[in-house]
Amino acid sequence: MRILLIEDDAALARSIAALLRAGGNAVDHVATGEEALSVVAGEPYALVILDVGLPGIDGFSVLETLRRRGERVPVLMLTARDALDDRVRGLDLGADDYLRKPFEPEELEARVRALGRRRGGDPLPVLSVGTLTINRSTGDADIAGRALDLRRRERAVLEALATRAGRVVPRALLIGEVFGFDEPVGDNAIEVHVTRLRTKLAPDGPGIRTVRGVGYMLDAG
Amino acid sequence: MPAETRTPALRTRLLVAVLGPLLAAAILIGVVGATLIADVVRRTNDRVLGGALGAIAETVQVERGEVTLDLPSAAFGMLENTERDNVYYRVAVGSDLLTGYADLPAPDPATLDIDVPRYRFARYRGQQIRIAEVRRSLPRIDKPVIVQIAETLDNRGALTRRLMLALLIGECVLVGAAALLLRPALGWSLRPLARLRGAIEARDERARPDFSPLDTGPLPRELRPLAGAFDRLLAQLDTATVGVRRFTADASHQMRTPLSVLKVQVALARRGSDAERRDALDEIADAVTRLERLVTQLLALARAEEAGVSAPLEAVDLHEVAAAVITRRINQAIEAGVDLTLDSENEARHIVSGHRTLIFEILSNLIDNGIRYNAVGGTVSVKLVTSASDTAVVVADDGPGIPPACRDTVFDRFVRLGGVASPEGSGLGLAIVRSAAARLNATIGFGDAARGTTLILRFPRVASE
Repeated sequence: MRILLIEDDAALARSIAALLRAGGNAVDHVATGEEALSVVAGEPYALVILDVGLPGIDGFSVLETLRRRGERVPVLMLTARDALDDRVRGLDLGADDYLRKPFEPEELEARVRALGRRRGGDPLPVLSVGTLTINRSTGDADIAGRALDLRRRERAVLEALATRAGRVVPRALLIGEVFGFDEPVGDNAIEVHVTRLRTKLAPDGPGIRTVRGVGYMLDAG
Repeated sequence: MPAETRTPALRTRLLVAVLGPLLAAAILIGVVGATLIADVVRRTNDRVLGGALGAIAETVQVERGEVTLDLPSAAFGMLENTERDNVYYRVAVGSDLLTGYADLPAPDPATLDIDVPRYRFARYRGQQIRIAEVRRSLPRIDKPVIVQIAETLDNRGALTRRLMLALLIGECVLVGAAALLLRPALGWSLRPLARLRGAIEARDERARPDFSPLDTGPLPRELRPLAGAFDRLLAQLDTATVGVRRFTADASHQMRTPLSVLKVQVALARRGSDAERRDALDEIADAVTRLERLVTQLLALARAEEAGVSAPLEAVDLHEVAAAVITRRINQAIEAGVDLTLDSENEARHIVSGHRTLIFEILSNLIDNGIRYNAVGGTVSVKLVTSASDTAVVVADDGPGIPPACRDTVFDRFVRLGGVASPEGSGLGLAIVRSAAARLNATIGFGDAARGTTLILRFPRVASE
């Protein structure tokens, strides 16, 4: 899942990014609201994590601008403030969730997963495509009870394809969802992961088709 | 508390203040009343005695050169009373007794005016008596004719005693009623005070301190200033508490970010590989350092803002303090690749009046900011300048500078200027500087500089000896 993190505190940004990357997500980090607004439109983010206390344009204004532009990306707000008004205001402005500092890392991860699922239109944590079952909460995947040993990036690609099983996922969209913008993406980066996935899914799992010049498609059950 | 035992209760004060004078007035009224009663009793009885005397004296006549009289029984009837007083009389011509009691004390005829009755007390037969006597002048009688009538004093005494008793009872009722009513009256008068106390006591039962004006209802005029003073005290407390509450809220707010870093990094260290664990430990160490610095700064700010305990200002040598701060900060500067210099203009001594620790704190924060918000190869210069009006410390750096628009707010607590490259500061440094400067009667302000930031701390010039 591709996540945009807007946090002015460098140490906290590094920490959250490391935590989410370890969970198989691609994380882009910006430190100001201005940067966030210029970045968010061009990239297919599955989630925005937004700190309220930003220098310059504050988190509320960033959120307001995003929603006014019609961005539907889920937004998880982070705040150091206790006030109930702040939380209400954030949610009313169009935030999807709210987390107060200092937070438990497990809670942040769980909320990020929940918001990611909701975005795919399917809130169930377990995703099934034929014999393939993906548990989006734990990150585990199996085929008819046979556990798959997936790497972080492979899991991200598989999840991206599985949420759109039976439909062609454009290659550019896949890259956008799987890699952050400061990660080096080779020409065949996706191809490598798809090839490995095919090997792991065979022989009883759903196949991954290459639609030349367009993208990839996971066979629906 | 000793003061409490020495101050008499309101009830006692009022008893002393009211009952004392009341008692004195009662005694005075008693004395005057007794005199009046004695006078009235004497006059009324004398009138009756005089009536009897007149009735007898009227019957004294001259018949054929002889003085005769016919004692009227009605005259004695007038003098009959419940006390059975004895009545004596004597009628004499010169020293010759005509009728009556010969031994009744006789007056000196020369002192008596004709036909004007005179009254006097005398002793007769072992008892006190009242005598009414008159001298008559009869035709062809040379010798003075003296008519006397007397009575014992039992009736007068009884009447006096009755009237005095009535007066005494009246007075006792008055003083007693006053003493008895004083307690309830005081209680009734103090009831608004109890209501005031109730309004105050109702406060501390609420969970959150309430500093709004007291809800006492209408109060008597005397208590209004007290309630007003209390309300003003509450308002002051409110202001102070709001300040403290905001401070703690800001402080806890400021701690949440490094605490979040700690939590996340601890989670990462638990799960990750050895290399990731080492990275996490580095991040944890940084976060702890940051928290430590934040706590230190908060304490420094609390010290600088602490009012009341202000030791007298002392003479402080700015050069010595600046040198001490630079010695303390030199390693930080070397690490950051920043050049740190101290200049003393005119090589004079720069003495100001202040507290060394506060000045140390101010310079320490200014120099720390200069180093922190600077680039490798930059400089932080500290310059001491004494002019005709003031002594100043000028701390200049060639870092990114502070935009003029932000210069008003940077001295507020927890205001940090953003930017991707901004180092981790607490946002407290300049707030500490401003609070400390205010306590030293010094001012802090921006100087004009083409680049970087120049902050000038000015002390009023100390008159040199």
